Amino acid sequence: MTLNVRILGRRGTRNVRLSKSAKVMDLLEALDLSPQIVVTRRNGKIIVEEERLASGDLVEIVPIVTGG
Amino acid sequence: MLRCSFCGRRAVYNRRYAGVMLCDMCMIQSVERRFRRAIAKHKLISPGERVAVAVSGGKDSIVCLHLLAGYRSQRSRELAAITVDEGIRGYRDQSVPIARKNTKPLGVEHFVVSFKDAFGATLDQMVRIAKRRKTGLNPCTYCGVMRRSLLNQAARELGADKLATAHNLDDEDQAIMLNYVRADFSRLHRLGPIYPPREGFVPRIKPLREVPEKETALYALLRGLNVHFAVCPYSGGIHTEIRDFLNNLEANHPNSKFMILRMFDRLKPRITQIVPEFEMRRCEVCGEPTSTNVCKTCELLQSLGLKREQKTIISS
Repeated sequence: MTLNVRILGRRGTRNVRLSKSAKVMDLLEALDLSPQIVVTRRNGKIIVEEERLASGDLVEIVPIVTGG
Repeated sequence: MLRCSFCGRRAVYNRRYAGVMLCDMCMIQSVERRFRRAIAKHKLISPGERVAVAVSGGKDSIVCLHLLAGYRSQRSRELAAITVDEGIRGYRDQSVPIARKNTKPLGVEHFVVSFKDAFGATLDQMVRIAKRRKTGLNPCTYCGVMRRSLLNQAARELGADKLATAHNLDDEDQAIMLNYVRADFSRLHRLGPIYPPREGFVPRIKPLREVPEKETALYALLRGLNVHFAVCPYSGGIHTEIRDFLNNLEANHPNSKFMILRMFDRLKPRITQIVPEFEMRRCEVCGEPTSTNVCKTCELLQSLGLKREQKTIISS
């Protein structure tokens, strides 16, 4: 399946291809992001990393680590 | 759809260290409970005290501000906000207006103090001077020391009884680990939910110390708070390495972050015993409290060919 992924603070969106039954944690692994440092929204709603994704989902990733 | 372990609503967070799923409402309530519990458990705020809160505009400080404002309205305590503008172009100039936008509707008095006014140079300028003079110090050293000094001075001038900072569990663990790595007992023993009063120092309190960073971020997003999510351009170095190490540890061994904190809290009385007491003095240059002849801020400023410009930083 193909997901439309946007990372907050970065320009534009990108398409990410994952297996049919992929979960949020699989997407984060594909993007080399730790669940500890991001919050994930699907179609505007915050979801847990164990949630399954579906083709066409608009996924927004919010990086939460901001300090200096 | 995954459901909340407590009420069955749609889950937004898997709190792996506790083995529970939480919905938006249970998550918000849980963070608020931990905040109130920390205040009660460690007696962080007493009735009638005036509290100054450090507000950068980032998620942790905005969450801390809103929680303290809610606490104030329940308990009739005075609250003021202090923002330190270090002068980081493209970063702090975006977060200061966000801090203002949050304090105003809450009816919290807001004071902005800047490196430029206090020290005659922005952090960006200091970094350039340090590079030219080859001081070998990184931006976080200047920023951390000078920001703490300005926050303390501003809180003292405002007549605050306590200075609240938004250090979360991750921040506290990183500080513990950093001081372990550096074998810095004197800094290690200053960590904790409250730094006790000393002449010239406003006691610092950390009401979010037992809230993981991810949970303050979730709280801010779930409550729709206006927060600044950008990354400081100077972040990096050993702080980032320790943060990544702790995040990997927590991912593979949930609850590690809390265990590090609990172990430190148990060890702290023993650490305090081996750190020699020091006499509080006044800095020969600026008059701020210090344990040595010249305070760390003035020492750093001197290495850059700068000095404190103002004696008073809060204008009435």
